[in-house]
Amino acid sequence: MASHGVPRVSSAAVDKSEAAKDKERKRIEQYRSLEKEVGEKIRVGDFANTTFQQISSLLQQNPEYYTIWNYRRILLLDVFHKELKSGNNAVSESQPEGADGQQATMTLAQQEIAMLVKEDLQFLIPLIKQFPKCYWIWNHRSWLLATATQHLPTKTALQLWQGELALDSKMLALDSRNFHAWDYRRKIVRELERLGGKSMVEAEFEYTTKMIQSNLSNFSAWHNRSQLIPRLLEERDSDAEARKKLFDGEFELITTALYTDPYDQSLWSYHQYLMSTLDRSSPLNSANYARSTAVLSPITNADRLGYLEQEIESIKDMLEGAEDCKYIYQALLEYSRLYLDIEAGNKMVTTKELAGWLAELRKLDPLREGRWRDMEMRMKL
Amino acid sequence: MSLAAGPGRGRVAGGQTPADLRLVIDKHVAYVQKLDTRRDELEYHLTEHLRVSGVYWGLVALHLMKHHDALPSQGVLDFALSCLRDNGGFGAAPGHDAHMLYTISAVQILAMTDNFAELEKRVPDGKKKIAGFIAGLQQPNGTFAGDEWGETDTRFLYGAFNSLSLLGYMPHQRPSETPMIDLPAAIAHIRACQNFDGGFGTSPGAESHSGQVFVCTAALTIAGEIDTFLGEDGKDRLGAWLSERQQASGGLNGRPEKLVDVCYSWWVMSSMAMIDRLHWIDSAKLTKFILECQDPDEGGISDRPGDMVDVFHLCFGIAGLSLLGHPDLIEVDPAYCMPRHITSKLVGR
Repeated sequence: MASHGVPRVSSAAVDKSEAAKDKERKRIEQYRSLEKEVGEKIRVGDFANTTFQQISSLLQQNPEYYTIWNYRRILLLDVFHKELKSGNNAVSESQPEGADGQQATMTLAQQEIAMLVKEDLQFLIPLIKQFPKCYWIWNHRSWLLATATQHLPTKTALQLWQGELALDSKMLALDSRNFHAWDYRRKIVRELERLGGKSMVEAEFEYTTKMIQSNLSNFSAWHNRSQLIPRLLEERDSDAEARKKLFDGEFELITTALYTDPYDQSLWSYHQYLMSTLDRSSPLNSANYARSTAVLSPITNADRLGYLEQEIESIKDMLEGAEDCKYIYQALLEYSRLYLDIEAGNKMVTTKELAGWLAELRKLDPLREGRWRDMEMRMKL
Repeated sequence: MSLAAGPGRGRVAGGQTPADLRLVIDKHVAYVQKLDTRRDELEYHLTEHLRVSGVYWGLVALHLMKHHDALPSQGVLDFALSCLRDNGGFGAAPGHDAHMLYTISAVQILAMTDNFAELEKRVPDGKKKIAGFIAGLQQPNGTFAGDEWGETDTRFLYGAFNSLSLLGYMPHQRPSETPMIDLPAAIAHIRACQNFDGGFGTSPGAESHSGQVFVCTAALTIAGEIDTFLGEDGKDRLGAWLSERQQASGGLNGRPEKLVDVCYSWWVMSSMAMIDRLHWIDSAKLTKFILECQDPDEGGISDRPGDMVDVFHLCFGIAGLSLLGHPDLIEVDPAYCMPRHITSKLVGR
């Protein structure tokens, strides 16, 4: 797992002339001696500015070198602590003004820390763009922000986190499935909500709408939407009717998308999520689950059956022109099973229909034959 | 041990048809043996931050191919112990800081080379010290940090369970002692990371990802909680998500709509094995996909056919073939990615 994101600059494919070998040897020597020098300086506690620059140079050559990131933090902490201990509690006369003139009042020590943090965040931008999947870079940003939050006035910390949100949106514009960026976004939002004392659930919900509109096949955005909905409903203080309205709206959205491309797995996953909120055995509906996940509330078996019927009918319609789409048969079988778990006596779905769908599925998807065989036994088809 | 990519590419050899694809064990053994001689390549030096894991990846492949003594045993032991830091954790190489990721690799190396007794001889109370480092990284919410700098991820929680169990310091292995870690809190954290699709993410609220499914499923397996945690319904749900990872090429991807990759194939199929659903994918096609990722001339396995080989993908490719029952390999333990006979002896599985 650790090696993902390691650049594959193979030396094998390129020419191995004497000149090329010589050049490589020199680069190795340079890298090794820089590494050695930095290591020695850390051991003897030489935290001068030149050490910091050498650390920057090493990290630009090799951002996966986690120990060097640790050294960088040791140096930064050293400066921060010295600043804070220096008793530099005077408030500067010439406070830099924020755009809104609402800059927090900072001591000279805090100003120094804020400046260093901002510089380091800048240093990271080209690196994170070049290595967007490098855990250590994300981790270092996160550490910088957390440390700044500890030492700086809330208002300044808030501005830093807002800057992070903007950067994160840029990273997601470059790769809308980068899970580092999505994880980091949820963290940024948590911090902004904590420091600002204001919920961002509406804005974040909007953001997922925007992301989905620009690319329907973005399961990461759909996923984040599913995480936001229960909170959104809670914060809107939604009654049963408002909840139903939102739920219906989500079905409409995803059904339209599915009609556009029934072969897209991301869309089916979101449909499954919506259906899972009706399923009493879903892991999210377990009493052991920590977060609130309710969408429809209260919810009766009649509601469940109503939605299952509606969706099974709607998905059956999707078959027309997409008879070779395995996801449709899978959905029909899965939702029928849920239906029969609640209402076994009803003739909404016949065994013959189920067996027919399964037969089609087996034809279309022989890779998973073992799963269909188990399904056949489980559903007694 | 070099983690540099190359030198070759995974592909079907000239004149060879996919039908006569075979596992080129002799080539892979030689590939691993040669890794440490590549010091004239810059990438050898740029990958030092992974070195001890590289030894683990090479060693697993060799063990599974029944060539466990192909690397000099004294050298392997000395190198692993040279990565041990005063705080009881291991760095990736001598002088590198201690981190959970490399502590797991070092402990697995010591386990595979049967060197825990030697560790105790050289480092008094060595096992307990290492266990103390790992246990000390548990956070109040049950998860684990990677090191003192505090990054948390379900990968580290798995690493803790893996190493502690090999060292014999999981709570159930020492019922009469005060537990070193809060196991119920860790399990509750895994639950908080589970999603509607049955899969798991890096942290609560994160999207399901097959690497994270592997670490959570394996942690539950090591803790002996997998059956009660998932139940048959949960296994069906997770198994369905995992089985959908197989693509037409036979390879598996890590998330919906992503590319197939030999290492993802391992995270997915080992998880399926742990929940008894490995038969839900086409093993013949997957076997073929992995074999096509070999470099048939110089050894090594790549992520996809046509790409550069490396020891990381060699390890997970071979482990995958073992799980699929390849006749030339010994059995792998899906929760540890180590030979089953070794984990059986150490943790009684």
